[in-house]
Amino acid sequence: MTPRPTTPPAECAGFVAVSVHLTGFDEFTLRSTGMVRLYHDTTIEQVGRAAVGRFLGDLAAAGDDPGRITDPVSLDIARAITHLWYLGVWPRLARATHTALGRETANTAFVVSPQAWSEGLVWRALGGHAPGARPPGFGTWAAPPPAPHPRPAPSGARP
Amino acid sequence: MSAVPPPRERRHDVIVVGAGMAGSLIARHLGDQGWRVLVLEAGTDTLSTWEGHQEAVDTFHAALYKVPNAPYRPNAAAPSPGVADLEGLPTGGYRAHGYLLQRGPLPYSSDYLRANGGTGLHWMGLTPRMHPDDFAVRTTYGYGRDWPLGYDDLEPHYRAAEQQLGVAADAEEQREAVGLPFPEGYTYPMEAVPRSHLDHLLAGRLDGTALREEPGAPAVPLRVVTTPHARNSTPDPRYDDGHGYRPAGAVGPNAYGERCVGNASCVPICPAQAKYTPLKTQAVWGPHVTLVARAVVSRVLVTGDGRVTGVEYQRYEDPAGPVHTTHTAEADVVVLAAHAVENAKLLLHSRLAGSSDQVGRNLMDHPTLLTWALLDRPTGPFRGPGSTSGLEGFRTGPARSVRAPFRVEIANWGWAWPAGSPAGDVAELLGIPADTTAPRPGPLFGPALRQALTGRLERQFSLQFAVEQDAESRNRVTLDPRHRDRLGIPRPVLTYDLSDHVKRGLAAARNVSRELFRLLGAEDHTAYAPGPLAPGHFRFDGADLVFQGAGHGAGTHVMGDSPGTSVVDPWQRCWDHPNLYAVGCGSMPSVGTSNPSLTMAALTLRSCEQIHRDLMDLHRPVTLRPHPVDKAPAASRRPGGRP
Repeated sequence: MTPRPTTPPAECAGFVAVSVHLTGFDEFTLRSTGMVRLYHDTTIEQVGRAAVGRFLGDLAAAGDDPGRITDPVSLDIARAITHLWYLGVWPRLARATHTALGRETANTAFVVSPQAWSEGLVWRALGGHAPGARPPGFGTWAAPPPAPHPRPAPSGARP
Repeated sequence: MSAVPPPRERRHDVIVVGAGMAGSLIARHLGDQGWRVLVLEAGTDTLSTWEGHQEAVDTFHAALYKVPNAPYRPNAAAPSPGVADLEGLPTGGYRAHGYLLQRGPLPYSSDYLRANGGTGLHWMGLTPRMHPDDFAVRTTYGYGRDWPLGYDDLEPHYRAAEQQLGVAADAEEQREAVGLPFPEGYTYPMEAVPRSHLDHLLAGRLDGTALREEPGAPAVPLRVVTTPHARNSTPDPRYDDGHGYRPAGAVGPNAYGERCVGNASCVPICPAQAKYTPLKTQAVWGPHVTLVARAVVSRVLVTGDGRVTGVEYQRYEDPAGPVHTTHTAEADVVVLAAHAVENAKLLLHSRLAGSSDQVGRNLMDHPTLLTWALLDRPTGPFRGPGSTSGLEGFRTGPARSVRAPFRVEIANWGWAWPAGSPAGDVAELLGIPADTTAPRPGPLFGPALRQALTGRLERQFSLQFAVEQDAESRNRVTLDPRHRDRLGIPRPVLTYDLSDHVKRGLAAARNVSRELFRLLGAEDHTAYAPGPLAPGHFRFDGADLVFQGAGHGAGTHVMGDSPGTSVVDPWQRCWDHPNLYAVGCGSMPSVGTSNPSLTMAALTLRSCEQIHRDLMDLHRPVTLRPHPVDKAPAASRRPGGRP
């Protein structure tokens, strides 16, 4: 008997789907960074499950277009998650957001891990690599840069 | 490593203070000649193992601010100045935090690193020679100070330094385009580091054209010229009469320390160890060299006749701990190689070498003007070494009589230095201002964000104009006994300003940049204004300018041909103390427009010859006597400390 193929549930599927809308990178690219779980956990640690839940609701109500979110706290969370993906850095929130969330941690920016810096999407947007990580090889800087491929993100994924 | 207990020997032939580039080179050469060398390093020794190197790379990756000192652990026992210690004020002026106390009209804006390997851990690794004209600026152009040496005196030592550092460059191009004399047939150890795509684009539009820095000024021919690097490229088989060159000294697996692989992080750390650091010289130290890290020299000890006998130093185990112990060590010769500012600090605190009243004075740097623009096509930013080429036509000539000269570095890392790119661009497009109380503009997300970022970043490039600063006695390091570090050693107090000669050089650089951007068809985005990130802001002739530090501190124990007007003689030996040397950029009477490390290394290697002669002279009576001298007297002078 052939065992019936099963699809294991993807890790943090909702968080990845939201991140696709925020970053403009597809699910495969986001998962290939290896940062999904860390960014998911960082976000929850920083703003709390309740605020993340409200943000998800606001994003759904905005038709999955984060730019149309009107609630300032949810919009700031969208900024922070995107910043995290692009630079590996959790940013400082607006002071009003920090207060509204009643956060007990200091409102400081930090690199979430050494790998997070190397995995910043901003370097991929340029077709390049983070300084000090994934060097492309001797003399590669003499060639024209690779053309960036702004592949539009698939829009089907739902959080 | 062996399990042999540390030698009980207390007396050394030479004590070297500081295990940076100059100190490591001196220790190597004197050790190879059989002298017993004790190297005392104030900072920690964490990077000379593979694990320590990897940890520093990780620390750099995890650092929020990627400043030059970012990979290296802060050390309260031997603090280092950092570029983030300075803060510009909203309407001009600055405030200094951190280790250096600053009392000048303008800030001394450079950092250095107190750790084993020194600032040579995070240098960019560019190694142009000084121009022959640079050694006589007072006589020829009427500013600054002359050297007691010329290019010809230093030339063989430049070659020796290029061997020690493993320099990659094209001698023929340097001869033709810069005007540097080389012996017939000279090749550098390695072939030039390949030019960046940006260099090629700029060369295509600039080579063969000419530029006037103002109407009526003579036209300066333009040519993009490859810069010499102490960075592994392809070894030149013709080097050393066909013996070739083999890089050495990296820690870790065999593949490390080979050619540059384009990490694009020379400053603050080269993960592949393709860039020369003093640790590579330390890796080939012979058995006569002993390094003691976490040993902060607090005083040079001297007898009544002016001869120094050794040093007093403070040892600590834990950089964060409060405990330190005081020790002394004795030697026939003491060499201070602790950085221009630290050497001056030690001489001042020890009240030595002061008869000319020049200790601490003549502090210089290369005040650097950054300009930035967008080209009409992708430049390939953030790739390769920080700079691979420059424009050399503004380094000398009659204009030097009027304004300071400059060297133009073509910067390969986009607007990273002038504008904090790309992190700044991401924050701006997301509407995340630095001030958390400021209103947050509407962000871009998704494909729009991604495309906007690519559009902003892919055409970035910047130019760095390193301007020569003339030696002025008013720019100086002093001490204030009210301000001491944790070990009780007075902290350096800096008084710094730019002369009008330098300011005219910076203003001329701004004009040259405008013309270059015009010739390139580039959109000039350069703008200068006071603000928190512009401590080097000033106004000159009605215009705003902002300068940066280059990390090229020099001049503080100036070399000359007379004890009345200089601190060290042409061998970097203190006029007042026949067995005390102060080596490094602090000896330089003028800095030209070249990144100074190679010249420092050449001077250092030249001094090694004299130190060796001095030691031979001191030991000569022993060999001339019919019977060997009893060792007992020397052994009885036991210093208290344990190195």
